[in-house]
Amino acid sequence: MPVSRRSFLGALKPGTAALSPVLVAARGREAATAGVTNPPPDTASPILLDSNENPLGPGPAAMDALTRAFVDAGRYPSNARPSMTDLRAAIAKRVSVTPENIALGAGSWEILRTSVRLFTSSSRHLVTAAPSFENPERMAEQLGVGVRRVPVDKNGRLDLEGMAQAAKWAGLVFFCNPNNPTSTLHPAKAVAEFVARVHKESPDTVILIDEAYHDYVTDPAYATAVPLALENPNVIVARTLSKAYGMAGMRVGYGVGQPRTIENFNRWAITFNQNSLAVAAAIAALGDPAHIEAERARNTEARAFTTRFFTDLGYKVFDSQANFVFVETGRHAKDFKEACAKRGLMVGRPFPPLETRFARVSIGTIEEMQKAGPVIAEVLRGEGPARASTSTRGER
Amino acid sequence: MSVHRKETVMALTRRSFIEAVGIGGAGLLATPRGAWASLLEGAPATPAAAAARPLLLHNNENPLGPGDSVLEAVRSALASGGPAGRYPWDDVKQLHQAIADKFGVAPENVITGCGSTQVLRVGVQLFTSPVKPLVAGQLTYEECASYASLIGTPVRAIPLDKSLQLDLDAMAEAAKGAGMVFLNNPNNPTGALLPAAAVDRFIEKVLAASPDVVVMIDEAYHDYVTDPSHRTQVARAIKDPRVIVARTFSKAHGMAGMRMGYAIGHPDTIKKLDWEGPNALNVAGIAAATASIKDQARLDREQARNTEARRFTIDWFAKNGMPSVDSQTNFVFVEIKRPAKEFRDACKEQGVLVARDFPPFEKSHCRISIGTLDEMKRAVVVFGKVLGVKASKAA
Repeated sequence: MPVSRRSFLGALKPGTAALSPVLVAARGREAATAGVTNPPPDTASPILLDSNENPLGPGPAAMDALTRAFVDAGRYPSNARPSMTDLRAAIAKRVSVTPENIALGAGSWEILRTSVRLFTSSSRHLVTAAPSFENPERMAEQLGVGVRRVPVDKNGRLDLEGMAQAAKWAGLVFFCNPNNPTSTLHPAKAVAEFVARVHKESPDTVILIDEAYHDYVTDPAYATAVPLALENPNVIVARTLSKAYGMAGMRVGYGVGQPRTIENFNRWAITFNQNSLAVAAAIAALGDPAHIEAERARNTEARAFTTRFFTDLGYKVFDSQANFVFVETGRHAKDFKEACAKRGLMVGRPFPPLETRFARVSIGTIEEMQKAGPVIAEVLRGEGPARASTSTRGER
Repeated sequence: MSVHRKETVMALTRRSFIEAVGIGGAGLLATPRGAWASLLEGAPATPAAAAARPLLLHNNENPLGPGDSVLEAVRSALASGGPAGRYPWDDVKQLHQAIADKFGVAPENVITGCGSTQVLRVGVQLFTSPVKPLVAGQLTYEECASYASLIGTPVRAIPLDKSLQLDLDAMAEAAKGAGMVFLNNPNNPTGALLPAAAVDRFIEKVLAASPDVVVMIDEAYHDYVTDPSHRTQVARAIKDPRVIVARTFSKAHGMAGMRMGYAIGHPDTIKKLDWEGPNALNVAGIAAATASIKDQARLDREQARNTEARRFTIDWFAKNGMPSVDSQTNFVFVEIKRPAKEFRDACKEQGVLVARDFPPFEKSHCRISIGTLDEMKRAVVVFGKVLGVKASKAA
């Protein structure tokens, strides 16, 4: 605390050029700006490997823009400079589409929920994977919409065959690629074939492809489904700035699709669903692709380190294309989580139906992963064998 | 647009800008507050920021933005705990506690949303249906009615009475068999206030006739009310699961860009209103709201500032033969005696933005938001020209 305080005040002296890093939340970068002295180990705050966040937060360009935007905090995001319209244009430019192809969301969460609203009904069910990101199925449950959950295969990959079968007469298929929490990916070809197959048997079914972890993918067989969404009115792509862009706290997400579909999303959107500071930060971040490249490289290195760590200990890890790994710890996720939490390490919650043997661990900085390693090893060594999976009752 | 006007507007923008970031004197530069000011001042102007900006009197915003305590809170929130890269769910709890403390209620009585709009929408979602209509004034804040149409809920829209006041008798009658009644007090876009006694009688009458209906009281402009007959319905809301009070940080708190609103109610109702969780709330808004709710002195100053500028504006129009509703908000609904569009377009030409049409009064009335006194003095010069009246010597 004294260190960051000093660097903060120091950097804020009038005329000092580098003002933004002090505003950067991320512990990693904050420590870096301290310069001469090493920051004291912050034992009070746990290592956060539970929510698939970017441990460094937004880049300097984003934080600079955010700071400057404060002058318009009292104006609605339509009047602020930059405005929500500017953000829509910046996203369109980044994704190489037109602004009419972009729907803004307060996080991609809103795009997912609106998709369930728009495309499902009591007679047109939702198809999702088990496990996958639960947001769409929660919404379906709230609306009384039927949900068909198709288990992932033994390598944690979405069972596209099973999902295609379940998609007949469905209103919406939720296709998280890479999939949260299993971290696995389907290549571009498989996605295109899946879409074609579903639409052959069930032409009105909408396929929502959630590419939240797009910027973390390194597999060359992957490609975004944005071109599919542009040519096919029944395909939507959702993206977020909460992951590689490091802006989970700012709540910026978007959907990509054909203008008529997008218009519908905008009609349903929460009025003024963007914070004007977030708008400014997001525009700056979208204009700084080099920062995202660097973040991908950083994550890839820490991910390889983490994967090796678990494999060396003899635990199976699914092939991760995201900023988290899904590990077969052989014990209940709840027990693993609690044991880690006791030691100052937060890991992912249980993900039924795999919660009895698997845990999700987010990728922090390499330093954080180095610190987390011994803690995890101790927990896996000391907590005894896997418990019988009794707690799945009632969860499926 | 003349060169001269451009310069005027730029100078103005710059002045309100400095007010907004709170430069009180040169000696403040060493403080964090001053540091922000210097940061903002020293920022190279982007092309967009450099462009002249009209007077924004069309969206009922607080022209000064948030206070210094808010600035400081956002700065420190983003500098240390609660970083922009983390999901802010834990911070939400602190905000709920701060709001609860302000009203002397429990956090279980509080829900927050992405603006009060999110809370209002969820209310309509939960308490209305195709067979449970929404009741609202024919001229009131439209969020509830527009969301109702989206989800297929019928809207019983009750015209205002002759004095442009919400017609409580007709609304109470319409509430029979309804799912939710929306009462915006003071009412946007008229600015008119219903005294607490009238609201009390109305709610009691509605609930006596229709025990299952929910009454949503939107008190967005509460902090701008100066009429002593006003009282918030918070005390009733925390006791009665059928009454909800919605509030926003977009008005007197000066945080329209931060997208924060809240509602207070009975714990059972609040639990239901948590339909979408805190997912739409951003960390900067949460930090800002948590600081702003504690800064009553700032709200008091903002109320005084607005009251003076409001008085000036109402008086100017009255002097020129154009009456307005007794406004208890940060806008006035003026009988300009000509189509709003004509007036609006002409004002825009001269660099002043006023509000859109509000049918059925779009042929005779216009809503004008209250800026700073200085902005209003400049605005009335434009209004005078457009309306063809002699510029007042007042003020």
